[in-house]
Amino acid sequence: MKQARRWLLLAAALVLLPQAAYAQKKKPKGTTPAPAAPVSADADADSTPAPAAATPPPAEGSADQATPPPAGGEAGAGVGGEATGGDTGGGMDICQITPDAPQCQAAKEFNLGAEAKKTIRAEVYAVQQQYVLKGGRFEIQPFFAFTLNDQFVSHDAPGLALNYYLTQVLAVGVVGNWYDGLNSPSDFNFQLRRAAHVAIPLNDYQLSGDVNFTYVPMYGKFAGFGDFIFNYDGYIDGGLGLIRTKPISVIDPDNRLFSWNNLINFDVGIGLRIFFNRWLAATLEIRDIMYFERIESTTVATGADVPVGAMGYGPSSPTNPATWYDTNTHFTNDVQMQVGLSVFLPTSFEYALPK
Amino acid sequence: MKRRFVKAVLAASLAVAAMSGSREARAQEIQVTGPLKGAPAVRHMRLYRKGRFEFAPTASFTLLDEYRRTLLAGARLNYYLTDWLGIGVWGAGGVWSETTTLTNEVNQYAPRNVETVINVNHTGGCPGGNCSSPTPGASPSQIGSNASFADQTAKLSYVIAPQVTFIPFRGKLAIFNKIFVDTDLSLAAGLAVVGIQERQYCGGGGQLPCYDPASFATAGQTKITWTFGVDLTFWPSNLVSFGIEYRALPFYWNPAGFDTRGGGPNGNYPDNQVNSSDDTFKFNQLVTLAVGFSFPAPKINE
Repeated sequence: MKQARRWLLLAAALVLLPQAAYAQKKKPKGTTPAPAAPVSADADADSTPAPAAATPPPAEGSADQATPPPAGGEAGAGVGGEATGGDTGGGMDICQITPDAPQCQAAKEFNLGAEAKKTIRAEVYAVQQQYVLKGGRFEIQPFFAFTLNDQFVSHDAPGLALNYYLTQVLAVGVVGNWYDGLNSPSDFNFQLRRAAHVAIPLNDYQLSGDVNFTYVPMYGKFAGFGDFIFNYDGYIDGGLGLIRTKPISVIDPDNRLFSWNNLINFDVGIGLRIFFNRWLAATLEIRDIMYFERIESTTVATGADVPVGAMGYGPSSPTNPATWYDTNTHFTNDVQMQVGLSVFLPTSFEYALPK
Repeated sequence: MKRRFVKAVLAASLAVAAMSGSREARAQEIQVTGPLKGAPAVRHMRLYRKGRFEFAPTASFTLLDEYRRTLLAGARLNYYLTDWLGIGVWGAGGVWSETTTLTNEVNQYAPRNVETVINVNHTGGCPGGNCSSPTPGASPSQIGSNASFADQTAKLSYVIAPQVTFIPFRGKLAIFNKIFVDTDLSLAAGLAVVGIQERQYCGGGGQLPCYDPASFATAGQTKITWTFGVDLTFWPSNLVSFGIEYRALPFYWNPAGFDTRGGGPNGNYPDNQVNSSDDTFKFNQLVTLAVGFSFPAPKINE
């Protein structure tokens, strides 16, 4: 029976143990430790009453006298006094051990009590520290592009962009699309031809590739549903490259069989990147690929359609490829919306400056 | 002995239970008393929308038009019940329209003959006076061609859209590290009453025959559909905001005024009538620019 009591006593002691540790969270007012010197004075002064003022006894002076001054002879410093006052609760003042510690140096420079009484006009940047540092990192950006401005043939395509960020805001890289097999002429073309007897020259794309520069002038953060925060940036890019296209034979499909043409293009884009973490983001970009298109001639050569000469056709024969193309090139904008992911490598980085 | 053992086990069990219970309570205590417990994601945020009215003149441009582009001028009036939810209405009227290159090419190159006589505007003169059963190969010279195809193409007249606006994202934007502006992203959705000018129905009972040049005139129609928009709004001040919105306005219509369906197998062939069976689904899209004026002064959250 006595043993059971001991067990119960032991159990009660064990139960009380964590609660005793707990109780240390709320100390009596008289023994509330003052904050250590390096605690950001502006933040505390701004949002909460100064602890020293809220703790009547002991006064700063008495605290200073009751405890040995920190090494370095800063006995008269209010901040040092508050710090040692707090340490009378049982802790050891770090300034006594390492007087060269940054917080001790900071404590020497100003009086926390006096500073706390000042009106704070803190300069706060809209975005204190950019969420992702990009300088010196590679970006791999797989995406899928949807045609935005061609109601005759859609040129949807998977694509890939590879960029290297020379600085936080400037990158150089390459981007490419693969269209072949995904070109999709609209039913609208057929309806137009049947109703109005007007044929619109159409073109297929095979691929495009560009060398691009990317500039990131915008960044920011959003609070979603007032609950979570995500970071994003906005970028523009542009460059020069090549696109391979060929006409779809619409006007004279019996005779015309086109092959791919290599055409120089310029491209510009504007994009948004929403970061999931410091190396992965979702991207949305609108990009315009501009080039001079070679389109099918809307007139059919009327020469004799008989094999003539070494080439097998005459100069005005409808089988002569020289008669298949319109004599003029046509400035074309291929505007596409790209949806994809952005992966930054290496996946981690270090800030040069503290937040 | 047994009783002692039982009591000892009971006591130990109680102790373990008490200890485990206190651990759980401790974890909960941290949640309850943590310095950020219950704190909002953003403090002292200006509530630009909550309890405010917004009046915003708008200018909208249609996108990806096949035959005719339209500029609509209008306004949006919203009241925001909370900072993330508002109700209101957007209305706009077509004030200017322009034909596309395709329209100009059809106008220039489409032959006016018995094969196109019910689809492309002309000035009359059907061969033999009978255009209702055109004969392929009939002389095109007998049909006048100096009528504009543009006159038969459809255009938007007005849009009235009562809508709910949802603002899930609120943040700020830094541009060139120099310009900082409060920004939010909103979604609007609702019904839309859309007025259009479209080629009048023809070829049916009591209607003009579609080969009649007068049948190419347009007439007003009303479409009821749904609409949604995604809007990015910038707040340089408490009073004024700037917004850019992408809006979809999908519905069935006949932008060219062609007879394309209604006859043959599955109705996929022309039937010499222009009516609702010739309407095709178009995911009509617009970009809207807005300058908003909001009042009264915004509140600031805790």
